[in-house]
Order: sequence, then C-alpha cells, then structure tokens
Amino acid sequence: MIETLELFTDTISSVRDFITQISGKRSWTAKDKPLWPEGGGHNIVLKEDLGVELGNPQMESLSCLLWTHDLASIENGRITLMGPDFPESTGRSLPFGKVVLAGVEGFTQDNAYDLHKDLDFLRYSINLKGFMMRSVSQYMREWCRISRVAIGEGFSARTLGSALISLFLEKPFVRAVEVIYITSSPEDVIRLREITSGAEKVIAAMNKMAAEMDYECENCDYQEVCDDASQLKAMRDRLMKKSQEACID
Amino acid sequence: MTDTRIVAICGKGGVGKTSISALMVKKLSESNRRKILAIDADPAVGLATSLGITVRKTVDDIRKDLIGRIQKGDAPGNRQTLELIDYELFDALEERDGYALLAIGRPEDEGCFCKVNSLLKDIIRDLAGKFDIVLIDGEAGVEQINRRVMKTVDHLVLVSDTSVKGIGVANTIALVASDKKAVDFKRMGLVLNRVRSETETRDISARTKLEIYGWLCDDEVIRDFDFRGAPLTSMPGNSPNLSIVSDILKKMDLTA
Repeated sequence: MIETLELFTDTISSVRDFITQISGKRSWTAKDKPLWPEGGGHNIVLKEDLGVELGNPQMESLSCLLWTHDLASIENGRITLMGPDFPESTGRSLPFGKVVLAGVEGFTQDNAYDLHKDLDFLRYSINLKGFMMRSVSQYMREWCRISRVAIGEGFSARTLGSALISLFLEKPFVRAVEVIYITSSPEDVIRLREITSGAEKVIAAMNKMAAEMDYECENCDYQEVCDDASQLKAMRDRLMKKSQEACID
Repeated sequence: MTDTRIVAICGKGGVGKTSISALMVKKLSESNRRKILAIDADPAVGLATSLGITVRKTVDDIRKDLIGRIQKGDAPGNRQTLELIDYELFDALEERDGYALLAIGRPEDEGCFCKVNSLLKDIIRDLAGKFDIVLIDGEAGVEQINRRVMKTVDHLVLVSDTSVKGIGVANTIALVASDKKAVDFKRMGLVLNRVRSETETRDISARTKLEIYGWLCDDEVIRDFDFRGAPLTSMPGNSPNLSIVSDILKKMDLTA
C-alpha cells in the first residue's frame, strides 16, 4: 500500500486555533453553482473603476493552500470571513489573508508536488466579471481588485469563495474544501503569516526540489525543513532515486 | 490578443513624437470609457514627463531585478517567474484618470537574457490585451518596438516635422517596416508636426507615398508647455492642435 503524505497537519491545527480565538467572524456555505457572470477578455480593474482592493503591494497579503487526507478536519463548502466583507468596504484598500484548506486523497511522495501545484494554479482559473487578481506564490501574496460595479451588484467574500470552492471540487482528488478570508487588520494577516510560515518553508523546499534537481543536502537552504519533516525527506529521496535511474538509462 | 487596437508612434528624434503621443492619450482618455494603455518605450521616459507622471518602476527595473536573482542563483521556476513578472508589471502601471502608463526604461545592456526578455514581451502582450487601445511611444525605429515591446501593431504612425531629414527618416522607417517586416502592421500613416502653411503639406505629399493622417501646426502653447516641463494633459481644451489630434484619431478609427 502506498503511503499518503501529510505535510501540513500542524499548520492546519494552528490555523484552526487562530480562527477560533478571533471574534466577529462570519461564515457561509458556498453556493452550489456560482451565479456570478464570467469576465470577458478585457477583465481588468483599474483604479478609476475600483470598488475594493485587497492585499495590494503596500498592504499585508497572504495566500496559502494547505491540504490533508483527514477529511473530517475540513468543513466542506464553508467560507469564513474575519473582518469587513467587500460590499461593506467600498473605496477601501484592505489587508488580505486567504487560506484554502483542501481535503484530498491520494497525495503521495510521487505525486504530491504536481497535485499541489495543480490546486495552487486554480486561482488563475477564476474569471469573474469585475474581479482581477495578481499573485506571487513565491511570496504567498495575492493582490485582488473588485470593480465598483461588481461591488454595487453584491460581489462578496461568499461570491469569491464559492467560485474557488467550485473549481477545487471539480478535481477528482479533492473531497472537501474550505476557504478562510481575513480582511480585519494587517496585524491579523501578519499573525496568519507567522502561523503558516512552516507550510511556506515546506512548499519552498518542494519548489526547490522540483526546479533544481539538486539533491546535495549539505549546501541546501532547506536542509533543516527536510530534517524536521521526514516525509519531505522521503520525497526528496524518491526524486533522487528517480533522477539516478534516469541517468543510468 | 482580443480586439485591442495597438498604435505605435515612430519617427526621427526631435520631431514631436512624444508630444503627439501625449495629446493622443489626452484625447483618447477624455473621449469615452474605453481602457487606454500608454507604453513609454523611450529610454528617456519622455511620454511619462509629458503626461506629468514620475515613473516609480520600469519594465527594465523588473528585468534587471530578475536577472540579478538568476545571476545569484536565486532563479524562480518558470511558472513563478511568469506570475512574478505579471504581478510586478501590474504594480509598475501608473494609473491616472482614463488611462494607465507603462514605462519600458533603458534598453538591455548586460548580456543576453533572451528568455527573460521573451517572457517580458509575452506578458506585456497579455497585459496590453486587457485594454481597448494601446499607444506605444517608441524610439526612432520600428525595430525597437518589435524587440522591446511587441511585434504586431494595428497602426504604425510615423511622425515627422517638415524637414527633408524628418520625411526621409519616416520613409525609411516605412520601408523597413514593410519590406523587411521589422514589425507587423495593418495600417500605416504619417502625421506632420510643426507645419507653418498648407503649401508645406502639399509639397510633402509630393515627396512621400505615405497616407497623411493629419498635420499639426507650429504651436506656441506646446512649445511653452515643453519649455516649462508642464504636462500636456493640462493643455487648454480649445487648443487648435487638440482638435486636429481628435480628427487624426477619427481618421484612424480610434474614436468611439
């Protein structure tokens, strides 16, 4: 039997603790079929059309994807918002934190990196009229703009979360998805970044393994991360073995 | 690319390309709710100055930063590079009422990083495709437009003053664009600047095969604005050259 991989158990647990501590949060169930119209080819939101901005380069921003095989730990379809919703914030630029918790199956040392990327790139498939997103996954930043017209028509955290959850659930290896948004304060986003910093290092280590194919641990910046996560180390060993086999062939 | 209309402005140095580009941006941004992107492809970022904008970040700043990271061995993966450039380019946009400006900056000068340059061009093209009209204020030749910004434009606008040299350069650029395929374009025309009489335009018509989109008169107001470094976007609306620019844009089918 192939062993499934768990890399984010502690981080998910810490995120849960953090949400529990914060008061004034709101939750919704995702709409089954997001009814928001798709954006056209010119779907760009410039300042003159801006309703609400989230996580711009001068603001705190964090976007994190965490997955687990423990489906019971994910509240499928749940969207939680800490802070003001978008329609309540017209004309404002807000800090932005986003955590996607995915309940998955079949993530192993062989495929976890590819499947993680597959899920991570889903954010680029969101094409909603009046919504624009730029992101740098390397820094886990996401910068969104929602047009004044879209805000006027009721574009909310629930709209955005429903669209994202719907895309995730289209993947055959995703069984449950939950989204958490934070717009309350820069400090809350900073706190969330601290909580997810371990996951950030794990993802960076996976990126390095995949990009460089350099398995010399002694000179690697992520040696400590791998030493702390035995499954990550096993993943590296498998990649190294594959690489050596390819060389022999 | 969607139905974005792309206009590239070229011509000999000093003939008034940048002033005409700035006036076109002013008229286009006033005329309707279309999204306008001005690209300043002049290393001296003259268009930004003419629009009264101080540029914070140029495409070349992004390029140099990325190359610096590659040289230090801190190269992000392909997908990460793409999203980083996309993010940084959007951050480099200077957004004003009715239009946005992207400054290209200085030409590449440190070795060949074709992949980075190619990615930058791809993402500039993608970004441009989100706008309705893109106006590129270029250097003298069309080769730079192709190399640094994009290969395909709808309108190639050649600007010249009434000098023999100016018209000669415009004719040469037209030849390079058409025969040597330096840039793909659908339509090409000439805009004359600093014209003092209709006799001059008739004389020039006889010396070029280019379609003349229009001519701007020698304008003391523009001269004064240039002298003071004042943005041309604040030019009085009743300036005769502004209405001429409107007519040129109509002729180019760029007004709503």
